[in-house]
Amino acid sequence: MASSLKRKRVQDNPHAKSKRRHTTPDSEDSGLSQASAHADFEEHESEQDGADEDVGSDASSEGHVELLEPAGDTQESDAAIHVKAPPKGEELRDIKDATDLFRSTSFKLQIDALLPNVRAKYHRSAPLDKFLLSLHTFLNGLPSIPPKHPLAASRDLQKKGVAVPYVLPQPTEDTNWKVAFEKPAEILLVGSWALKTSVKAKDGRRYVVDLAVTMPESLFQEKDYLHSRFFQKRAFYLAVIAAAVSGKKSGLNIEVLYESTNGDPRLTTLVLRPKADGSASDFSSLNTEVRILPVLPSSSPIPVQRLGPSRPNVRASASSDDSASDTPSPIYNSRIIQHLTPKPHLVSTHALKESVPAFSDALALLRVWAHQRGYGVGDRLCVRGFEGRGAWWVGLLECLVMGEEVAENGGQFGGFGKKEKRRPLGKGLSSYQLFKAALDLLARYDFAKNRTVIKSKDGHRFPPEDYASHEAALVDSSSMLNLLAGVPLTSLEMLRYDAQQTLDVLDNSGLSEDPFPLVFLKEQRDVANRFDVVLRIDLSSAEAGNLPPHAILEHGSAYNALIAHLLSTAKRALSNRTRAIAVLHPSSSSRPLSQAQPSNPSTVLLGLVLDTEHAFRLVDHGPPASEQETEEAKQFRDFWGEKAELRRFKDGSIVESVVWTVGSSDERAHIPAMIVRYILGLHLGLSEESIHGWQNGFDGIVRLPENVGKVLRDGRVETGFKAAMSAFDSLVKAMKALDEQLPLAITTVSPISDSLRYTSSLAPVAIPTSVASALPACARYVAPMEIIVEFEKSGRWPDDLRATQKIKLAFFEALATALMGSQKGLRASVIVSSPHAASDIEDQACLEIVTAAGWAFHARIWHDREQLLLERAIDDKPHIPKHVKKNMHMEGDPKERAAATAALEVYRRRFVHAPRHHRAVAALSHRFSAFAGTARLVKRWLAAHWLLEGHVRAEAAELLCAAVFLRGAKSGGDARAGVPGSKERGFARVMELLKDWEWSAGMFVSLYGDDSDAVKDVPPVGVDVKAGARQGVWAIATEVDREGHVWTAEGPDAVVARRVKALAQATWEALKGMEGGNFEVKTLFAHPTEHYDFIVELDPAVLPRYAQGVQADPAIWAKKGKYANARGDDGEAKLLPGFDPARAFHEDLKRVYEHTFVLFHDPLGGHMFGGVWDPSLKVPRPFRVLGGYSSMPVAKDTDKPKEKEKDKSLVVLNESAVLSEIERMGRGLVKRIVVQV
Amino acid sequence: MSTTPKSVGGFTPISVAYSSTATHVFYARAHSNPKPAKSPAQQDSKGKGKEAVYPEGRTLFLVNLPPDATERELTLFFKAAGTVERIAFDADGEVAGGEDDLGDSSDSEEEDEEDEAEAEAADEPAERPRKKRKTGKQDSPPEVTPLPTPTLRTLRRTGRSAHLVFLDASSLSRALSPPSSTSSPAPNSKSSPKPRPWPTDAAAPLGLAHYLAAHTALRPPLDAVRAHADTAMARFEWAQARARRASKYRMGEAVVDADGFTLVTRGGAYGKTLGGGVGVASKRFQEEAAGGKAGAGKRYRKKKTEKTEKEGFYAFQVHEKKRKELMDLKAKWQEDKAKVEKLKHSRRFKPY
Repeated sequence: MASSLKRKRVQDNPHAKSKRRHTTPDSEDSGLSQASAHADFEEHESEQDGADEDVGSDASSEGHVELLEPAGDTQESDAAIHVKAPPKGEELRDIKDATDLFRSTSFKLQIDALLPNVRAKYHRSAPLDKFLLSLHTFLNGLPSIPPKHPLAASRDLQKKGVAVPYVLPQPTEDTNWKVAFEKPAEILLVGSWALKTSVKAKDGRRYVVDLAVTMPESLFQEKDYLHSRFFQKRAFYLAVIAAAVSGKKSGLNIEVLYESTNGDPRLTTLVLRPKADGSASDFSSLNTEVRILPVLPSSSPIPVQRLGPSRPNVRASASSDDSASDTPSPIYNSRIIQHLTPKPHLVSTHALKESVPAFSDALALLRVWAHQRGYGVGDRLCVRGFEGRGAWWVGLLECLVMGEEVAENGGQFGGFGKKEKRRPLGKGLSSYQLFKAALDLLARYDFAKNRTVIKSKDGHRFPPEDYASHEAALVDSSSMLNLLAGVPLTSLEMLRYDAQQTLDVLDNSGLSEDPFPLVFLKEQRDVANRFDVVLRIDLSSAEAGNLPPHAILEHGSAYNALIAHLLSTAKRALSNRTRAIAVLHPSSSSRPLSQAQPSNPSTVLLGLVLDTEHAFRLVDHGPPASEQETEEAKQFRDFWGEKAELRRFKDGSIVESVVWTVGSSDERAHIPAMIVRYILGLHLGLSEESIHGWQNGFDGIVRLPENVGKVLRDGRVETGFKAAMSAFDSLVKAMKALDEQLPLAITTVSPISDSLRYTSSLAPVAIPTSVASALPACARYVAPMEIIVEFEKSGRWPDDLRATQKIKLAFFEALATALMGSQKGLRASVIVSSPHAASDIEDQACLEIVTAAGWAFHARIWHDREQLLLERAIDDKPHIPKHVKKNMHMEGDPKERAAATAALEVYRRRFVHAPRHHRAVAALSHRFSAFAGTARLVKRWLAAHWLLEGHVRAEAAELLCAAVFLRGAKSGGDARAGVPGSKERGFARVMELLKDWEWSAGMFVSLYGDDSDAVKDVPPVGVDVKAGARQGVWAIATEVDREGHVWTAEGPDAVVARRVKALAQATWEALKGMEGGNFEVKTLFAHPTEHYDFIVELDPAVLPRYAQGVQADPAIWAKKGKYANARGDDGEAKLLPGFDPARAFHEDLKRVYEHTFVLFHDPLGGHMFGGVWDPSLKVPRPFRVLGGYSSMPVAKDTDKPKEKEKDKSLVVLNESAVLSEIERMGRGLVKRIVVQV
Repeated sequence: MSTTPKSVGGFTPISVAYSSTATHVFYARAHSNPKPAKSPAQQDSKGKGKEAVYPEGRTLFLVNLPPDATERELTLFFKAAGTVERIAFDADGEVAGGEDDLGDSSDSEEEDEEDEAEAEAADEPAERPRKKRKTGKQDSPPEVTPLPTPTLRTLRRTGRSAHLVFLDASSLSRALSPPSSTSSPAPNSKSSPKPRPWPTDAAAPLGLAHYLAAHTALRPPLDAVRAHADTAMARFEWAQARARRASKYRMGEAVVDADGFTLVTRGGAYGKTLGGGVGVASKRFQEEAAGGKAGAGKRYRKKKTEKTEKEGFYAFQVHEKKRKELMDLKAKWQEDKAKVEKLKHSRRFKPY
């Protein structure tokens, strides 16, 4: 980094001669040969060093921050003294660099702070060097072993406890080649450690010191590239070294293990781990391990020409005239070539590092980014195919810097068409620029279609067309090795998807949010919020037998071939339904020397990222049916098996097709999983049980219990959101038809219920009276849906709030009579205000309409003049300034004002914000297919944890969900990259949000973004709240609600907000259980009750909503007969819309004991209240007349002097009395009250 | 409850046995009117009225009532002491007086209430409103058909108070004495009075039955609603008419006071002057007009001033501008540095 800064200095120095500036970021001037550019650069540097006096003191870079920090501090204190002075040239250049070459100055500083933490501590590598030296001497002194039959040789080694990791096909008694050992021709440190570009691995994995041990060429013959013979010889060579190194005689205090990169036995390496013994060569404190890679000498007898990617070198059977023998074996070939490349790679990477100053920083950033997303090794699940691919990340940067090879034959190459070649980027880019360019390459590049060859000095060895046999290709500059050989294409798609998301974050996060943590610091390996569909596949029952032997040999092992087959099958079956598919499994682990073959995880996770536009398509079309059988049609039928059928479509065409049948709209979201299940069962023989998903579990959470659902189905009851909405529409039609019979015409009827915008956690159900008696008493709840009626304007409304409410009653009565007259079977009644209604100026009455089909509505009247009247009641002389008014004593009745304020709040929320919110949320449900499901799950979660309604309003929950979806879709164009495609992922995202959200900072949700572009540009005004300052501490602002308190004014308070955070954290941890497979959806919705001071248990049998509960026990309503006898009067099944005694009781208790305890309850069928006492009341206090809580005098303490007690008559909360009051007030409801300590 | 103090802050605690284990305590004291600090909600302006409402000597002031207590239950509880004339819950309900004779006080306007209170407070020579009210009661229809109200319990907030007026002054001392009388023979051995059980009124349902009843009660028959709404509106119109008659201001009529000044008022919501007097332009209009003019003036002036100075005309201006830019840059740099330094200390830069 330091050198990069110096370099830029040259550019920005106004006094430097203009011809010196040669590497602006988008410079196309790459004609300079590497060497000359290098020389040029050195010249500048020396010159510059001479000019600047305090070059050493710029402390902000490279891996030496710890050492240089003191210097930096003094500099800063210097600056503090001369704070008024303008920055000096030196400083100015730093600043300019940071702003010009990085995203922002703080981004640069953060990168600088990050980098030292991910680098190895080279200054402590002395013991390692010592160890390497002794290892070198030891290996060079190894005795030769004369050629032997492979099995005999392995038997010899077996005696020492070392198995030879022979690969497939295993040598047999009649193999005619021999294995031998001779001391290595050369031992070389290669790879990232040697280049000092090592980047810390995830989960405390060690840095790897690659030691290339060159096998002498005399061991090999020309034909060794056939029949895996090279690998067998290599295996023996490795086993001999293993036996020697692990032996007592070696004098090396190490643990020796085998490890097979990517589970490929052909890439088995030897891992040497230090044992801590405190000796001079004990490098255990360095957190490194040495890996011995046997490599081929550059002058090997194996002809490289025969290893071209299109060469068929794998022969399944001995008879080489097999038909499969013509199939190219690109992966097999690459694996051999891989043994030739370590040294050339070392050289080319070093050259790159020298010529591109920011190279190692950029590489570190790229790898940190990749590690955070599971492209690498780690203890948790990793994306398949990225182990041991250090060269690929280097190659990616090399590709950027050097550019692509231009194909001679013009457009033909790699299907590139007329698209322009990737031009080389300037060498003077900053690390961030390089990093971003790499992401850009990943995000835009279609590896499946394009084959890339990095430009090299002396042309490429194999024609690029040859690489067509690879799934994807990025060929290194030595032009031999495809760095992506063996990486599944789907994994690359996943990488591409991740890169897109990160670019979105970098490009679209505003000034207020800092994308740095999201890009580099945050762990992103969690499957729950990363994949729309997660399936856990148990591969142990897979029929690997029917894989072609050629494929097994090509992939190195049956397991690898199976996974490759799985992925390609899944990809073909899902086609454009997914954006990416990834197989995740733990990265390969090391094994003892006695185990020849790597062990593979028997279960893998298959993650799907859906493309919501296509994912839920019901029909897959194949080739059209024609007279003669085409090859295509045959393939289609073979692939889909019995699902394939000929179908005739509306346009008259008859095509092969596959139809997926779903029962309900819920099930439609299962189609991708369904396809995977079917196709894997067909092609891999995986049974239903061995593929486990969680979608059903989540579906069950937002569904009524089975036997209740059955009654509803039997009664042919209308259920679902669509039905509710059409019921609403017909009601509106009926109401509008009444114009004649009403004094004023109805202009608009707007819904505000979440049942009418797809987001109520349980689907709305109509319960007609005919079905009611069949339903158990616990499932008879009819949820009324709130709607708002607006009449045409009229000047004849009374200019008085109380009278307005009375007029509303009259309107309701007229509407009810008219509706009942016109609609058969419709019942309507006016709900007058409850005695506890806050005041008589507040809007309170509503009209209850129950349609013939059983839908219940609550209609309210919106009279827009109420607002003005209320405002006037609060302040009738707004033109007189406050201080004047105070002096004039004309503030009016404070009580009246308080009532008006409360009424105004209700008015605004109910009539202004609710309809607007409803429209916006309904629009979101249409825009994002998974939004509604997510909102339903989140609400259910909040309800199950006793928070919904009582503490968190449903609208606030919807806003949180919207935040997750809108954040993902902020940018235009290809925007939907980060948007969850399934409700499960959406739910996990909301949990992540809740767990990480610092609610004191507020949140801005651009819910109405589409309507008001003008508002969007304005950054949200401060939404900060001081904790405890008000009842609701969440501030969720939208364009129309800058304060962000419309839906959160009444809660959650600080205590509950912290509780939400803790619950979300726990849920998040539980979601991680998906990786291990020990995860049950219901556990997320099981509420722990031990934290409550007391639990009020209600009798579930009398609660009409009980059946809605997550944990509802069907036994309660199963023994209905017994209860029906007991309560004969209730047996006649009167339907009471909206009758929810638990809720009413909860509201009453909450109001009565507002300052005594906090009450929690699940509104969706909960049968328990949890209460927490106000802790301050438990301490005795002096008696006050209006204490506001039930108290009792503190028992006298006889030791105390008497007069003192008289002065201070202390009282304390009378808990037992309060509890028995609750019991009395809830007579018939409360079963018992449990006091918990 | 081993020992109950005889008095808590001047109140006598009275224990009520809810069950064998739970005992509720409320505090009683003889009501005394002039005491201003009795309750914050009672305002001295109303004190006069209170005197009549809560006659001193036979009014018991109770604090910390059970939230579900009904009048009947309280009457029963104090039956031993004497007959209870009436009970007023919640000191802040000054409408207490009105509640007894007029169940619909909330329907009328506030003025009415005040009138009523005044009317009750003193029998002054017939004032204008008073007269109106009387005549109103006779001829015009202020009667509002109330909505059917079943005997539903009102659940008040916990720890509230009530005034309990006995029929007889002697009852007061009896109500307050039981604790002392029982404990007087052996103040320490039988330390506290035996808590009396709470009489529960069976007529007013509780719990599930209460909520069922409330559910039905909230949905009265439509004709009742209609009758209520119609009468309420009739009363409102009558009240408005009366107010208009009472008011000195007539709509559209110029109001000229004794000195010959004409009252000028702002218009109502629809530009009409509802209260009477001569209308003037709305405030918004005035503001707009004023703002427009002022703005225009300002703009004009601004234009003038802009002409005088040129940016970057003098070399020093350029220098200073550059310098300022640099200073800003530096300041931001330092700010960022400090921020990252702070983050560094919180060990945030360890990605894993």
